[in-house]
Amino acid sequence: MRVVSVSGARGSGKTTLIRSLVAHFRSAAKKSAVIVNEEGQTPFDEEFIQTHDLSVKYIRGG
Amino acid sequence: MGCSLASSLVDLKKKLKRDLNPDLLFIEPSEMVVTQELLDVTAMGLRDIRYDIGPFITLVDGPQFGFLWTERQSLLLGQMHKADLVAVSRIDLIEHDELADINHTLKDYCPRLIALSTTNGRGIKEVVKQIH
Repeated sequence: MRVVSVSGARGSGKTTLIRSLVAHFRSAAKKSAVIVNEEGQTPFDEEFIQTHDLSVKYIRGG
Repeated sequence: MGCSLASSLVDLKKKLKRDLNPDLLFIEPSEMVVTQELLDVTAMGLRDIRYDIGPFITLVDGPQFGFLWTERQSLLLGQMHKADLVAVSRIDLIEHDELADINHTLKDYCPRLIALSTTNGRGIKEVVKQIH
């Protein structure tokens, strides 16, 4: 397991970049999980989660 | 990042490793967390389980750069410091001159800065390469 962090201001595109990377690595048969400490403007919807066999966990506070 | 939150993050990481063992675990931290802090918390889990750390990527929001540099410069620099890759994001929403200004402003703080747009795909290959 490799831990990759994507930091930045709210709205900077963190969730969108992670979605792109998850999709990229899924096409290479790599399984991903995400820990979100901040809900982005483009949340991980159920369809995306199912399609990409993704596990998403949220932790509150900052 | 508070102790309670750091502990939750470490516990969750360990649980995901044990239950799912994904190839990649992406962390999207709060906008107020700096990279050094996140590195320290990420390393804490290594006492119990094994995983690889990095890259740590920091996005500098192109359209918001003026506000961030004026109002949140310390936070922005804290997120850039120790990052493996710094990317100016959402560049499809700014003019070429604005991107050049951002690069000029940050060149003393970050020797390697890439331009990123998930809309047109610019910079994605460099991010993927960094992860590999």
